[in-house]
Amino acid sequence: MAEYDLTDKTLPYLDRHLAIPILAYLTEKTVFNVDQVRAAQYELAKGTNMVDYTIGLFKELHPDEEVPAELLSKQEKMLSTYERLNLEAQAVLDVIENPEVAQSLRQDKLQNLQYLKENYNLSLEQITALYHFGQFQYSFGNYSGASDYLYHFRVLSTDNDLNLSAHWGKFASDILAGKWDVAVDELNALKELIDSRSSTTADTAALSQLHSRTWLLHWSLFVYFNHDQGRMFLLETFLNPSYLNTIQTSSPWLLRYLVAAAVLSRKTTSGGTTMTSSRVKHALKDIIKIIEVSSYQYHDPITDFLKELFLEFDFEAAQRELATAVQVVENDFFLREFASEFLDNARYLISEAYCRIHHKIDIADLSERLNLSRDEGEKWIVNLIRETKMGSDAKIDLEKNIIEINRPPLPVYQHVIEKTRGLSFRTQAIGAALEKQTAAQVPESQPGVVEPAR
Amino acid sequence: MSGSEDEKPSKPAAGGKPMGMARFLKGAAGSSSESSDSDSEEEDESDEDEDDKSESGDDVKVTIKSAKDKRLDEMEAVGKAMDNAVKINDWVAITTEFEKLVRQVERQTNVEERVPAFYIRTLVSLEASLNAALAKEKEAKEKDSKDAKKKLNTANSRALNTMKQRVRKTSKEYEKEIQLLQTNPDEFEKQYGVQEVVQAQAAPKKKKAKTDDETLEGKAGDDEFTTVGKGGKAMHFTVESIFPNLQLIQEARGRKNTDRAEQIKILEKLLEVAVTVYQRIRILLALISARFEYNASIYSHMTTELWTSAQREVDLLISILSSNPLYSVEEITPDYDESIERNPETVGGVVRTRGSIITFVDRLDDEFNKSLQNIDPHGTDYVERLRDEKALYQTICLSQGYYENTKQEDPRSRVIMRRLEHIYSKPDAVIQALEAPLPNSTSPPSMMLSKLGSSTALIQALSTHLYKSGNTVLKYRGMLCHSYHHAFHNDIHTARDILLMSHLQEMIHSADVTTQILYNRTLVQIGLCAFRVGLIKDAQVTLQEIFSTQRVKEILAQGLHQQRHQQMTPEQEKAEKQRQLPFHMHINTELLEAAFLVSSMIIEIPLLASIESEEQKRKIVSKPFRRLLDFADRQVFTGPPESTRDHIMQASKALQEGDWERCRDLVYSIKIWGLMPEANEVKEMLASRIQEAALRTYLFTYGPHYSTLSLSMLAQTFSLSQKAVTAIVSRMIWNEELPTTSLDQSAGVIVFHHVELSRLQQLAQTLAERVGTLVEQNEKTLDQKQGGSGAWGDRAEGAKGGRKEGEQTQERNRRSDRARGGAARGARGGGRGARFAQGLGNRMTSVRT
Repeated sequence: MAEYDLTDKTLPYLDRHLAIPILAYLTEKTVFNVDQVRAAQYELAKGTNMVDYTIGLFKELHPDEEVPAELLSKQEKMLSTYERLNLEAQAVLDVIENPEVAQSLRQDKLQNLQYLKENYNLSLEQITALYHFGQFQYSFGNYSGASDYLYHFRVLSTDNDLNLSAHWGKFASDILAGKWDVAVDELNALKELIDSRSSTTADTAALSQLHSRTWLLHWSLFVYFNHDQGRMFLLETFLNPSYLNTIQTSSPWLLRYLVAAAVLSRKTTSGGTTMTSSRVKHALKDIIKIIEVSSYQYHDPITDFLKELFLEFDFEAAQRELATAVQVVENDFFLREFASEFLDNARYLISEAYCRIHHKIDIADLSERLNLSRDEGEKWIVNLIRETKMGSDAKIDLEKNIIEINRPPLPVYQHVIEKTRGLSFRTQAIGAALEKQTAAQVPESQPGVVEPAR
Repeated sequence: MSGSEDEKPSKPAAGGKPMGMARFLKGAAGSSSESSDSDSEEEDESDEDEDDKSESGDDVKVTIKSAKDKRLDEMEAVGKAMDNAVKINDWVAITTEFEKLVRQVERQTNVEERVPAFYIRTLVSLEASLNAALAKEKEAKEKDSKDAKKKLNTANSRALNTMKQRVRKTSKEYEKEIQLLQTNPDEFEKQYGVQEVVQAQAAPKKKKAKTDDETLEGKAGDDEFTTVGKGGKAMHFTVESIFPNLQLIQEARGRKNTDRAEQIKILEKLLEVAVTVYQRIRILLALISARFEYNASIYSHMTTELWTSAQREVDLLISILSSNPLYSVEEITPDYDESIERNPETVGGVVRTRGSIITFVDRLDDEFNKSLQNIDPHGTDYVERLRDEKALYQTICLSQGYYENTKQEDPRSRVIMRRLEHIYSKPDAVIQALEAPLPNSTSPPSMMLSKLGSSTALIQALSTHLYKSGNTVLKYRGMLCHSYHHAFHNDIHTARDILLMSHLQEMIHSADVTTQILYNRTLVQIGLCAFRVGLIKDAQVTLQEIFSTQRVKEILAQGLHQQRHQQMTPEQEKAEKQRQLPFHMHINTELLEAAFLVSSMIIEIPLLASIESEEQKRKIVSKPFRRLLDFADRQVFTGPPESTRDHIMQASKALQEGDWERCRDLVYSIKIWGLMPEANEVKEMLASRIQEAALRTYLFTYGPHYSTLSLSMLAQTFSLSQKAVTAIVSRMIWNEELPTTSLDQSAGVIVFHHVELSRLQQLAQTLAERVGTLVEQNEKTLDQKQGGSGAWGDRAEGAKGGRKEGEQTQERNRRSDRARGGAARGARGGGRGARFAQGLGNRMTSVRT
């Protein structure tokens, strides 16, 4: 299983703190040598200010050695720094938390700054102290505290660079604190921020945009696989053309999560119970195309499963891939929770495709395709027929032990309706575009075309 | 000159030939005992000859030359031409020249004048070289080596034999004089010299032939300028005279009546006496320029000898510069006095000299290309010439090393581009050969095959450097070369990614013509690569782009396009000719066509079979293919296939009938596949594709007539495994290509459910479809109207469906652009240049708004 592990690929795009839970998870699994993972954990923690945790790790790693002096001195230094930064930040907080002040603060940041300066003698440097303290808190693992401070800082500060950095910091803090709803908002805000910077056309800007997008995609995995609706959001984000390009350019291994999310959200897409954008609906189709074109860049059992099923139509191979894919899913940090759900949905996909293509199906054969025993298979198929739209078309003939599917061909009027459905909307869109064009007489300048060359 | 030659241990093979010949001549002459004399005298003669010429130029206003002098001049000119011909071993030319000379001498004797001395000398030397050549011929014959380059070709050897007889005959007439010359050259000289001086009173400046050998060397050039040149006055080129001489040459440069050959000679001699580094640099700079200026016309190319010596001198110059870091050649320097010697001490620091090595290298490369364009590619000459590429490549790499050491970024990028252009389209073995001598050179470049391990790494390193350089043109050209190389090595994904990521499609119309050509070449190579690795669809789409223009040869710069409707002006034609790629770079167009047509066949035939109504028939994937197929259909009688096209057309018909074996055999029998690397794998791939296409065609064509079809029967008919058949049929059902079909697993059959549509239903469907296309058309029009930003959005949407779709969208855009370009072309009546100009115009307007 080690060859399908993505930790070494994803780690470079994660913050130290974000990597800690992943490594902790790896120690539980037997995929890698536990001692080696421990050593890696220690190296990772050394760079943070979580001294106690580091010391703990060190002791685990070298039970009979002295704790290095540098760690101890670091602990002391940390305390003093904490004191200092806390004092600085507290001064600002005191002012802000004053209800009077909170009321008089407005949208306009410059005005706010002016106001604070006049009435409370708060300078920009002092506000920056909030940022430093937030960062410091983050570095020793007090994530919710960090999140608060960074939030306050962002409200007040006018420094764009530091603001962006605070955004990232707060995002990470929210992830680590497990506040998924907040994290989703933060994620979307960050995404907008990154996308809006695309207007600059210089080479370096495009490159840094690519970098931030790659980072964002990696970080977002935490959110998407923990939030309730995360998989849907993931599909939405990952299938966005610019992010798709990012995946193809710099991090093809993320395809695994895209595919997994698509498989996992199958129920919601086919059931049509929740509101889904058109993008998610066609997600599977699109994803298959993507897998086809980028299989040379990356493939693992999970993507291969879809490929065998929908490109090669080799049900046996698909079944084989599914068996390994489930193992991979179980071992993956992000996907582990969804292993059984994944298996279920994958089976649905197989049987759906199988039923659509076939006219008469031997139950025993289908059960085999699904890795199920005969009885289980029958139950499964009955459930399938009951749950899906096939209900009226499919009948089980127990005597011959087959399913017969009689799908009456789509009536012609249905065809016509299908074909003409989107037309009026599309025409409207054209009209709107024309209006927009006449309204904005000045044509837009050509957007940045240079994507970083390899 | 000869000194520099000896310094080069690795003499290029072809360049070595004339040189070797000269050495050989010397030896042969030595055996016939009038060695050095005849040699030096020859030189002397030509000197005199130039001398006279220049005089005549100078004297035009003052004196009118006597008829006799004119005759003499004429004869000497002929003699010189002969000398040149001897050097390149061209006996045909010698024969004609000799003929001329004999006639002139006859005229001379008719007017009761003595036979001129130089005629005798020429005879003697001619005999010597004749003997040498004959001996060599014989030797070659004896060895019976098939080595074609050593043996003279038939015309030449016949000429050699006639010459032998003629010379023998003529020598008899002048036996006495020749005897005298051979036994006592001094005496001979004196006799003739005196006589000539006496006789030639009208030309007082005519110097006597010298008796002292050592003065021979320096005489010529000097005389030209010092009008009082008597025989004794002939002076050496000394160290002191270098700068004045250089000055004089510089002043004479570019004048109408300057004798360029003469200048080169002087410079060569100056180089021999030059002592200091500075002198050598100065002389070399002047000498190389002089060599390049030898040919005044832009359209004719430098002769090989001239080129080889220029190339050596550039090498020499670079190695001097890199071993003396305190001297540098720069394009912009502070003013300095050209007539004094400078060295690091006097200047205080680096001695900067005005000049530009990069232009020399550029020029060398251009001249090399030009000569390849002009040499018949099917002759041995072409191969001979091609050997020089190695030396040229060396020079380019040397200069790259030099620029790396001196940290001059701009010329460095240019030189890297040149280097890249030499290797990007070559197979690994050739690159290896080109790179082999690099590590031993004086200033090796930082990127070398031996260091980087593989040609791909080398090209990657070179092009990455170009990406980093600020120059956009070089950047894009680097990208194209890089992509081409990957495609050439069957790495289609990387090639395609590089091309797409450059977003070059959008701006290629405004690029310069050579870049456009390179772009087309890259596109074609990617198409071929896709074909080789079995991505038939991609291959078809990519090559379609090229073939729909119907001017494949022209847009690849592999041949001129005959235009039916308009005439090209001579300038355009010349420009077009200059752009042509040398033959060894060509991509075989027949192979290209075969690949295109076969992939079209595999895609188009099943598609054709799936179409029922006439209406849908208009949706054509490959127009050129469809046209050919229609033409083949109309044919009443079809004979056995001859051309590639015939083969493919007949194969298509077999495929339509489901006869995949015949189709396969026909495709196999196309001869041109031999040119494709890994032809056998490609053929196997094609066979499996044909099987699949045949199955699909069969299902489309005959499906409606069955209610069930057995899978095993299909598997048997098309020699496919049952699993494969099931997979193909499944895919077709899934993709709704067979709308009313399903599989019966237990019986192992395909079940067709037929639905008969009434006329009304059919009409309704058609109507709905048409409305759909109407909206689509509107959207497209809007896109175009919105221009660049529209295309951008379009592509972004396309990217949603994966890159392939994006590519297609882009290609569609490109195609429409191309059509626009074509229209402009008609309107302006211009060639490619017009399109270029139009592109520029577009850009200009967009910038202005």
